[in-house]
Amino acid sequence: MVGLSAGEKQFMHGGIAQDLRSDGRQRLQFRPISIQTGVIPQANGSARVTLGATVVIASIKAELGKPAPLRPDKGKVVIFIDCSPTAGTMFEGRGGEELSSELSVGLQRCLLGGKSGAEAGAGIDLSSLVLAEGKICWDLYIDGLVISSDGNLLDALAAAIKVCRFIFLVRFEISSPWQVALSNTGIPKVSVIVEASAEDQLEVNVSDEEFLQFDTSGVPVIVTLTKVGRHYIADATSEEESQMSSAVSVSVNRHGRVCGLTKRGGAGLDPSVMLDMISVAKHASENLIAVLDSEIAAAEAAEDDGS
Amino acid sequence: MKEILISLNQTQKVRLQAALQHLDELASQVSSANLAVTVADTIPVNNEDGILKGHGTTEFDGQVVATLCGIVERVNKLVYVRTLRARYKPEVGDIIVGRVIEIAPKRWRLEINFSQDAVLMLQSMNLPDGIQRRRTAVDELNMRSIFEENDVVCAEVRGFQHDGSLHLQARSQKYGKLERGQLLIIPAYLVKRRKQHFHHLEQYGVDLILGCNGFVWIGEHAEPIDSEVLEDRDKIPKDKHRDTPLEVRRNICRISNSVRLLSALGFALSVEAIVDTAEASKSSNVDIKDMLGAEFYVQTAEREVQRRASLLKKKRFV
Amino acid sequence: MASGPLETYSPSQTLERRHQQQKRKSFNEIDWARSDGRNFHQCRPAYLRTGATSSASGSAYAEFGSTKVIVSVFGPRESKKAMMYSDVGRLNCNVSYTTFSTSTRGQGSDNKDFSSMLQKALEGAIILETFPKTTVDIFALVLESAGGDLPIIISCASLALADAGIMMYDLVSAVSLSCFGKNLVIDPTSEEEACQDGSLMIAYMPIRNEVTQFTLTGEWSTAKINEAMELCLDACSKLSNILRSCLKENVLDFTD
Repeated sequence: MVGLSAGEKQFMHGGIAQDLRSDGRQRLQFRPISIQTGVIPQANGSARVTLGATVVIASIKAELGKPAPLRPDKGKVVIFIDCSPTAGTMFEGRGGEELSSELSVGLQRCLLGGKSGAEAGAGIDLSSLVLAEGKICWDLYIDGLVISSDGNLLDALAAAIKVCRFIFLVRFEISSPWQVALSNTGIPKVSVIVEASAEDQLEVNVSDEEFLQFDTSGVPVIVTLTKVGRHYIADATSEEESQMSSAVSVSVNRHGRVCGLTKRGGAGLDPSVMLDMISVAKHASENLIAVLDSEIAAAEAAEDDGS
Repeated sequence: MKEILISLNQTQKVRLQAALQHLDELASQVSSANLAVTVADTIPVNNEDGILKGHGTTEFDGQVVATLCGIVERVNKLVYVRTLRARYKPEVGDIIVGRVIEIAPKRWRLEINFSQDAVLMLQSMNLPDGIQRRRTAVDELNMRSIFEENDVVCAEVRGFQHDGSLHLQARSQKYGKLERGQLLIIPAYLVKRRKQHFHHLEQYGVDLILGCNGFVWIGEHAEPIDSEVLEDRDKIPKDKHRDTPLEVRRNICRISNSVRLLSALGFALSVEAIVDTAEASKSSNVDIKDMLGAEFYVQTAEREVQRRASLLKKKRFV
Repeated sequence: MASGPLETYSPSQTLERRHQQQKRKSFNEIDWARSDGRNFHQCRPAYLRTGATSSASGSAYAEFGSTKVIVSVFGPRESKKAMMYSDVGRLNCNVSYTTFSTSTRGQGSDNKDFSSMLQKALEGAIILETFPKTTVDIFALVLESAGGDLPIIISCASLALADAGIMMYDLVSAVSLSCFGKNLVIDPTSEEEACQDGSLMIAYMPIRNEVTQFTLTGEWSTAKINEAMELCLDACSKLSNILRSCLKENVLDFTD
């Protein structure tokens, strides 16, 4: 935890009231964001996001699994965030675990949408992960790692997951008895080999050459507004976060729809302030999405140059 | 230290690389004596007799070998390695900025980026009433009214006690609690020891304190309270809740971002360099927050190249 | 199990009617009935009682439809030595499920997510400054889980805190709501929760007009958030009145 003296606290509060924060930003401005994609070769998709001095890595891995018996038509997504003590001594032991679980739950709520699946604002269409209903599906493991922490981890992690961009899943070919034609029209010629050796036993042939592309750019972004004193600010640094009374994280997708919301911090909020914060967050998300899009384009251009 | 990582586009990358290479060349022209070593590198000694092995060196197979990464320094017969990334190493008389972490009997403990906490004794501190006298038990009870936990304090290194603990003193009005401003923490080696560490930048209305330990304070200018005029003391609390004027705050932010930028580039922090950077940003109409962006980052590197090149030229002419 | 009066806290009829009219205008398809015969904006009957366990400083039992929870509050008692000094009190929350709480035999384990959500929902309501260096423990046990578990735990816990004589700014009441296509369904059962498109939960202090906890999943337009919040806040205020009358009865019992 950052300890601040009374004088520094007063200075910070005054700055937020005057709309000029310690690093010269206005209340709703973000720190510079930079993005690198494809940083982990053994993952199906990965990205590194730098937000000021906050650095996070997200990696998405896909493994074959069995759909849950209650939802045979859906794949599974598991989000896990690791705040390792390498980022700072405050993450050692229980403090890190608590923060990890808080971030994981927040991301799950903001990114995975309602229980019924795709239409409910999930960035990831779970039903497209199913290869054979009730038998085989892709399990997506989304892992986030906090490399160094200077506040606003949730927004950075969500951005990192969003810009993982393309998850390349191994393509399959089908033979009888289950001819499964995936209804995934965006991807040409996807086929699955599912060979039956016994009733419930499936043998899967994996072909390494061909890939199924899975786009995560539909994943919403998260904008966290932190309330310090009477005002709220976007993209708080850890010093500013130490002074927060409450914070609202709103996830917004490309269409300007709210896809999830969490409130952190103990202090209560007036419902009208809450609605105000939601609309401000929606507005801020448009800018954030635009910045991320241009950064992705730049990152991809850089990758192409490298190859 | 919280480093700033910046994404550069292709042209900016090329420009930055060129600038940094240029700096390397300039540095090698100035001094060829400085030798950078890493752990287990042999330090060439011309087999002269009576070499004194200093800090960061050891002997192996009859040769002097470095145990640290850094620059080899020679003072007469003494050879030692000065590290760059290690924590601060106090010297007597250093002016430092620290943060109070604990109040103990008759003393405060301060975090100063040293391997142990520094100790500021109640008796090595001027009392708020300015009278020189023995410290009483009442003073001891009122310690929290002078400095609290988490307060940022400026003091001077007094020396090491025989038990190895580091003691500080603050026997002047210029030392003491720092308020209305922000503390930046940068690598200690970027602050060079100089005559002057307190800077009142009059054109900005800003106080800048470059602590030798890498703690840099940037705050609104505060006149040292004249302890002789005791009647004025009642007025201070009223003043306490006044906000910093917007203009001064802008300047504080601009100076702070200059410090952040220079330390991210790894340039030594002198008051001239800081003010220079701030002025450059002002004259080229760079927004305060954009001072941490990629374009100004590269520009600053390029300006430093020009500055050093011109310095070198002057030296040659003289 | 409930022997006392059952009360309901559904949002007011006028509000409901207005919304239904709006709906009728826009589309004519609200014909499916809820499994328990309620209409969309009707909450389950609530039964609340304080003093469920005798050893706790305060406790409460809540029964909303077939969801049943017990919450007991212990403390404030001195924080453990290992904890750092703190000049405000600490709140320690734990939510657990019994093995028989769901239709399939469960693990009966702790629910960490709910524990931290409960803590955050209540933190803003308790005047923590009044008991420095001490800890208040809140243990919630879900006897039967049939939907809306978390909001019921929160409401019940605030009742238990009041019963324990802990200083609070206001009672916290919480209500959840599910979204199915364009329909908003208040106080969903677990079957409804299992197939909802989106959900919203609000913990609210009606007298102070402050939201202490707010979660939302699924895709929402601003207009729908507004409508859902209006419904939930109204239901929260009514639920708070039920909590209040429950506490008042308790006081009368003592004074008799």
